[in-house]
Amino acid sequence: MASESVLEIQGLSKTYGSGKKQTLALKNLDLKVNRGEIFGYLGPNGAGKTTTIRLLLDLIRPSAGSARIFGLDIRQDSVEIRRRIGFFPAELSLWEGRTGKQIIHYVASVRGDARGIVKHADELAERLDLDTSKRVRDLSSGNKRKLGLVIGMMHSPEFLILDEPTGGLDPLVQQTFHEMMDEYRAKGRTVFLSSHVLSEVQAICDRVGILRDGELKAVESVEQITNVEFNWVDVKFRDAVPADLRRRLESVPSITNVSANGSRVRMRIVGDIDPLLRAISGGYVEMLHVEEPSLEEIFLAFYSGDEEKRS
Amino acid sequence: MSGTIVGATLRASWKQILYWGLGLGALGLYIDFIASSPDIISGYAELLGSMPPAMLQAFGASDIALLTTSEGWIVSIFVSEAAIFLSVFAVLAGLSITANDEHSGLMDVILSLPISRAAYMLERWLGYALIGFAIVLLCALITVAGMMGLNVDAQTDVIFMSVMNLYPGTLLVMTVTCLLSTALRRRAAAIALSAAFVVLSYIFNIIGASASGAIADLMERLSYFSYVHGEDFVLGVYDPANTLVVLAAALIGFALSLKLFTSRDIGI
Repeated sequence: MASESVLEIQGLSKTYGSGKKQTLALKNLDLKVNRGEIFGYLGPNGAGKTTTIRLLLDLIRPSAGSARIFGLDIRQDSVEIRRRIGFFPAELSLWEGRTGKQIIHYVASVRGDARGIVKHADELAERLDLDTSKRVRDLSSGNKRKLGLVIGMMHSPEFLILDEPTGGLDPLVQQTFHEMMDEYRAKGRTVFLSSHVLSEVQAICDRVGILRDGELKAVESVEQITNVEFNWVDVKFRDAVPADLRRRLESVPSITNVSANGSRVRMRIVGDIDPLLRAISGGYVEMLHVEEPSLEEIFLAFYSGDEEKRS
Repeated sequence: MSGTIVGATLRASWKQILYWGLGLGALGLYIDFIASSPDIISGYAELLGSMPPAMLQAFGASDIALLTTSEGWIVSIFVSEAAIFLSVFAVLAGLSITANDEHSGLMDVILSLPISRAAYMLERWLGYALIGFAIVLLCALITVAGMMGLNVDAQTDVIFMSVMNLYPGTLLVMTVTCLLSTALRRRAAAIALSAAFVVLSYIFNIIGASASGAIADLMERLSYFSYVHGEDFVLGVYDPANTLVVLAAALIGFALSLKLFTSRDIGI
């Protein structure tokens, strides 16, 4: 039996400006997100992630195409859709002069059923370690984002749309957030999460859509994306890089792009790190740093040489 | 429409009502104080009487004889000055309806809630319309209370109605600013054009009232100030149709704002 789609997008396009200043922000997007899944919407800054989300919320109007959430049209039924969804914007702005508690009460009153919503908001705030008695202007940017998450989730929405939610959150809170997402999934709720951080998407999502220059390039499971993953490794030796190390590293099939500078050597490695450890065993290693590839690099790897390797 | 946004707007703005109302009320008390001294009024009237008609209009007086009475003094001087101050409030209020929230990005959060754009704008407009009304009312009450306290020789109902007659113009300027900020989507441009609207209306009113001829008449008719003369109450020539014209213009402006706000992209 086919999974029930919560979100269905067909041929959605958005163009900003007119004449020579016209910019195509989103091109002919087709996408389905199923009930109960956490869908990662991955793309570099400016790829069209926020444009897609703003279209879904009816904040901006499509140049072409349509989308349905819960089977309802995003233009005609936007109020009913917004009753059932939660939203967290990438660039969060809140009422600076009001306290978290005041904002929660205000948003809850607009949503109706204020008592139940406020109770859940208090639970979320406690879990995220957020002091709602402070005015927004007195909160750190991380705490403001926590408040944004509380506002987006306090009515237990069926469908949660999160635009870059964890930027500025400390690692402990990010962990709590990941747990919350797992609970959402367990309850059969749906999450649409945009991000430009691969590790975040890997940790939370079931499927990933890769967006670039306004075009959806692929929709893959997280496992498939992970298969094309490689890492950058920096090794710092106590002394100068051993003379024949570069040759030894380049002879390892999974290691490429080797560059040496003084006592440091940097390389790109696909798969296990063990061949590297064997190759550098002759020198005294002071430090070894593994760096996640940028999204752009993953993207290029996914669609160039490593794609062939992957398949 | 649930009234939630109206209520929240009023709760968030009670200080604004107090400050503006008390500030304008203080100006009213000052004018009351001067009005309680016939010598000062007559001296001032004499000074204004030596000026050309256009200058007299600029000071808010069309009839020098009127200025020699306490009632005429309060209405001519205070009401015209308060109208300018209220125009400043109206421009700020017009921006607060939606433009400020859109500029700050707050509108994205607001419009992710289950409220239509039309309902939100309507409730914000009503909220600020009520705030404007409360400010004018507070100002009128303080001015009238000052008159009574200082035993100024003037009819309280005439002064009260003259001050309250400032409200339609305030509502119009607020709505014009709302319309301009919705259409232009640039706050600075909306402020500049709203200010131009007020200043040109003021100048048109002065020229129209102090000169004669078809063009002068047209200029006067184009000025919203000419429809809300406080002096009309003193002279007993107040015509409710004038108030209705200004209120109708405000409603048309709001309907256009609503149409624009509901049909365009937000926050780009």
